[in-house]
Amino acid sequence: MNSNRRVLQFVAGSFSFYLLISIAGTLLGFQWIPFKRVNLISDVMTGDSSHQIMDKPDSNLLIIEDLPDKNFELYKKGRIITSFSSDTSLPSLNNFLQKLAELKTGKKRKIRIAYFGDSMIEGDLLTQTVRKLLQQTFGGSGVGFVPITSQVSKFRQSVIHNYSGGWQDENFNNGKTGRLYFSGHLFRSNGNWVQMIDQTITDSAAIIEKSLICGNGGSVSITVNEYPVSINAPGMLNRIPLVNDMFRGIKLSVANENLPVYGISFESAFGIFVDNFSFRGITGIEFARIDSAFMRAIAANNPYDLIVFQYGVNLLFRPNNRNFNWYGKAMLPVVRKIKNCFDKTDFLIVSTADRAFRYGGEYKSAVGIDSLIKIQATVAYETGSAFYNQFASMGGTNSIVDWAKRTPSLAGRDYVHPNHRGAEVLGAYLYEAIINEYKKYIRTRK
Amino acid sequence: MPSFDIQAFLDQFLYDPKYPLLFNNGFFVFFFALFIGLYYRFRNHFKLRQYIFCFFSLYFFYKASGVFVVFVILSAIVDYVLSNAIFRQQDRRKKKLLLICSIVFNLGLLFYFKYTNFFIDTINNLFSAGFNPLNILLPVGISFYTFENLSYTIDVYRGHFEPARRFSDYLLFLSFFPKLVMGPIVRAHDFVPQINKPYIITENDFAKGFYLIFSGLFKKLIISDYITLNYVNYIFDDPSRYTGLENLFAVYGYAVIIYCDFSGYSDTAIGIAKWLGFSIPINFKSPYQGKNITVFWRRWHISLSSWLRDYLYIPLGGNKKGSFGTWFFSAVFFGGLFFAFIKRFHLSLFISLCITAATLVLFMLPAIIKKEKGGITTNLNLLTTMLLGGLWHGASWNFIIWGVLHGMALAIHKIWMLLTGKAFEKANTNWFYTAIAVLITFHFVCFCWVFFKCTTLEDASNMLYQITYNFSFSVWGAFFDNYWPVLAMIVVAFMLHAIPDDYADKLIDRFKKVPMPVYIALFFVFVVVYGYFKSSEPVMPIYLQF
Repeated sequence: MNSNRRVLQFVAGSFSFYLLISIAGTLLGFQWIPFKRVNLISDVMTGDSSHQIMDKPDSNLLIIEDLPDKNFELYKKGRIITSFSSDTSLPSLNNFLQKLAELKTGKKRKIRIAYFGDSMIEGDLLTQTVRKLLQQTFGGSGVGFVPITSQVSKFRQSVIHNYSGGWQDENFNNGKTGRLYFSGHLFRSNGNWVQMIDQTITDSAAIIEKSLICGNGGSVSITVNEYPVSINAPGMLNRIPLVNDMFRGIKLSVANENLPVYGISFESAFGIFVDNFSFRGITGIEFARIDSAFMRAIAANNPYDLIVFQYGVNLLFRPNNRNFNWYGKAMLPVVRKIKNCFDKTDFLIVSTADRAFRYGGEYKSAVGIDSLIKIQATVAYETGSAFYNQFASMGGTNSIVDWAKRTPSLAGRDYVHPNHRGAEVLGAYLYEAIINEYKKYIRTRK
Repeated sequence: MPSFDIQAFLDQFLYDPKYPLLFNNGFFVFFFALFIGLYYRFRNHFKLRQYIFCFFSLYFFYKASGVFVVFVILSAIVDYVLSNAIFRQQDRRKKKLLLICSIVFNLGLLFYFKYTNFFIDTINNLFSAGFNPLNILLPVGISFYTFENLSYTIDVYRGHFEPARRFSDYLLFLSFFPKLVMGPIVRAHDFVPQINKPYIITENDFAKGFYLIFSGLFKKLIISDYITLNYVNYIFDDPSRYTGLENLFAVYGYAVIIYCDFSGYSDTAIGIAKWLGFSIPINFKSPYQGKNITVFWRRWHISLSSWLRDYLYIPLGGNKKGSFGTWFFSAVFFGGLFFAFIKRFHLSLFISLCITAATLVLFMLPAIIKKEKGGITTNLNLLTTMLLGGLWHGASWNFIIWGVLHGMALAIHKIWMLLTGKAFEKANTNWFYTAIAVLITFHFVCFCWVFFKCTTLEDASNMLYQITYNFSFSVWGAFFDNYWPVLAMIVVAFMLHAIPDDYADKLIDRFKKVPMPVYIALFFVFVVVYGYFKSSEPVMPIYLQF
C-alpha cells in the first residue's frame, strides 16, 4: 500500500497546529520561554510585549564631587587616558610623562610599570605589546618580573618557563600572609629549581640584569646557573642582582624554606619595563590584604613609576547584574592604601573590556557593563587616578561579539577573553593613548 | 499589542548572510510545508513535479548561500553538456580530452574557492614572498557537488551508465536540497533513475524517514550545538589556558560533536529523501563502535570514503599497481616529512633522514612480510588517498596531518593483521579483546580529531601538552559541578551511539502502523525540547587551575 499520503498528513497536520499555537501564543502574550524561542512567526512580528526581570541600577551611586575644572563625563571616551580635566589639552600622568621625557632625552634611568590584572592579561597578553612598543620608543630590554611558577607558563609566549613541581605556593586563594607580592603569590622551596628564558629581547648585545625578588630570609645560600651563591636578604622586600650578562636565561635553585621567594626580574641597566601581575578570577579588592609596611618596602626597594589596575570582568559573572556600588565602596580604600604607600607613583585605572552573555539566544554585551564602568571611573575620579575606558576603546557595545566572529578572530567564544591577536590590538591602543599624553606633555612644557 | 511587520515579512524571502537557511530556521518549516503540499498535489505529473523540486532546491540554495547558487547551475550546465558529449564521442582520445575538461573545470572551481589562499600562504612561507591573500568566500556545499559532478562524468566516461537525458534530471540530482550543506555525496547512477518513478513509499519508509529526520535533528541541533556552545568552543579557543582534564574532555566532546553534526545532517537528508520516494544509502554506521581503524573508515562518512576509493584510490592503482600520482604524492609526502623534521622540529639532517626512512620502511613492511612487490604501492596509494582526503576537509596543514595520521594507521593496522592474523583469530571474538580494541581505536581517532579541530598546529601541540603534562586530577570535583549538564549530554550521545544499528529497524517493524496523532505529538515534544535547550541558561566557562 502506498503511504505517501501519510507524509502529507503529517506535514499538514503538524504545520497547521504549530502555526496555530504560534499565532495564539503571540496574540495572547504566552510567555513560556522554551516555546517563545521556537515561535514560528516571531520574526515577522513587532512590538514584543516580553520583558526581562533584572536588577535595577542603583540610584544612589557613589557621590561624585563636582569640581570646577573637572569633567567626569570624559570617562566615556575610548582610546584616551583622562584625568577628568575639562581642558583636554592638559596631559594626564604628569610625573610618569616627565620621567619618559628624561629617558627620551638621554638620561640613564629606569622607569617601571606595574600592570595589575585578571585573566585578561594572563600569559603577558596586552602587557607584552605595551612593553614591546614602549621599549621600542624609549629604550630598555627585558621582560620584567616573572613569578616563580605559573599555571599558564606554557600559554605565555614572552618567557620560556620551566620549574620543578615542589614549590610551595601561598597565594590570594589559600594564603594568610600579608606579604604576598603584587603577583599575589609567595613561594618557598626545599630544593626546587626554576628556569626562565626571556623571549622579548631583540637586541642581542643587550646586557640583562637578572635579579631575585624575595622577602626577608637573612643570609642564605642559593644556586644560580648551577653555581652556589650566598645572598643577603635583610629587608622585607629585596631586589638582589644575581647575574648581569648577555644571556637571556637563568636557572635558580632554592633549598631553604625560610626564604620567601617571589620571582625573577629581567631588566637592562636603563629603559622602561612593564611587570605583568595577572591573577585569575580576582577583582582588585584582594590587594587590601597586603600589609602597608610591606608595600612601602616594595616602593623603596623595587619602586614603580606607574601602577595600572585592570579589573572588572570577574564582577560581571551573572548576566543580569547591574549593581556594582559595593565594588566601588570596597575598591576605594584599596586604591587609597596603595597610593599612600606609593606616594611618588602615578595611577591609572583601566575599565573592564566588553563581555557578553546570551540574552534570548543571542550574545550581547552584559547589561551591567555601563554601570560597572561608571563605578570604576568614579574610583579613579575620587582617588585622583587617571582613567582609560577599555570597553569604549575596543568598540563599545557588542564589540566582543564582533571580535569573536571575525576571521581571524580577535576573541574567544567565551565572549570574555580577547585572544593574543585581540590583546595585541588592545595593547597597541593603550600604547597610543600613552604616547598621546606624552605628546601633550611635550607641547605644554615648551 | 504585537503587530504584523510587512517589511520583515518580505525580507524573509531574501538571502540574509547572518541567517543562512538551515533545517532549524522557522522559514524552513514554511518552505517544507509548501513544498510537500505542491509535491503531493502534482505527484503524478512527473515533469511538473520535477520542475517544482528543482525550483525549491535552487531557492533553498539561494537562501543558504546567496548568489553562489549560480555556480550550481553553471556546473550543472557544463557537466550535462560534457557528459553527453563524452557519451556520444566514439574516439577514445577525444573522449579522454572531454573528461579532462570536466575534471579541470570542477577541480578548478573547488581549488579556486577552497585552496587559493592556502597556496598563497604556503608560497609566502616557503619563499618569503609577499602575496596578499584574496578575499574569497567558500560557497556552501561546493566540496560536495563538485565531487558529485566528478563521479558522474567519470562514470559516463567509464561507460558505467548513460548520462541523464534531460537537463532538469541532472540539475535536480545536483541541487537536491536535503543534502545541500553536508552531504551525503550521492552518485548519479543511484539517484537519477529514481527521479521519474511514481511517488510510492511504504508505511515502513514513512516510519523510518520520521525516525531518521528527527533523530538526525536531535543529534545536530540539540546534542551537538549544546556541547559546542557550552563547552568545547571555550577550550579549543585557547587550550593552554585549561587543565589537561578539561582538554581531554573537550576532545571527547568534539568526537561527539563531529559525529552528531555530520551523521545528524546526513540522517535528516536521507530521511527527507525517503519521504519523497528517494532512497539514499546510509552514511554513518556507529563508527566509534569500530574495533580497528579499517572498520572505522568503513563506517565513517561512507559516501566520502567510497567516493575516494572509486575515484582516487583505484585510479591511482588501488591494490594492484602504482601510477604517476602514487609516486608524485608519495615523494611530496616523504620530502615534506623530511623538511618538517628539520624546519619545524629543528632535528639534525641525519636524524630527520633516519625518521623519514623508518616511515618509508613502515609502508614497505607488508610487502616485505608477504614477499610481494605490489604491497608497497598499495600502501602508498592508501597514504595518498588519505592525504588528499584530509585536504578535502579543509585547506590547512592540520587537515593534511589528520589525513596522513589516518593513512599511516591504516598501514600499521595492515601490518598488525599480517603479523597477528592467525594468532589472534580466537581472541577476535572475545568481548574483552573487542572492548580494548574499540577503546584504542576510539582514542586514536580522538587523537587525530585534535589536529582536525585546532586552527593551528601550535594549538594542537598545546592541547596535547596540557593533556600529557598538566592533567590535574584534583580539579575533577569543580569540573563536574560546573559542567555536569554538558557531561550528561556527552553520555547521552555515547549511549545513543551504542544502540545497535538495526535496533531502530526492529522497533519500527514491531510497531507496524502508528497513528498519526502519535507522530504529531512526538514532533511537538521535539520542538519543545529544542526550544528548551535553545533558551537554556548557558554553562559558563570556569578556570580550574586555582
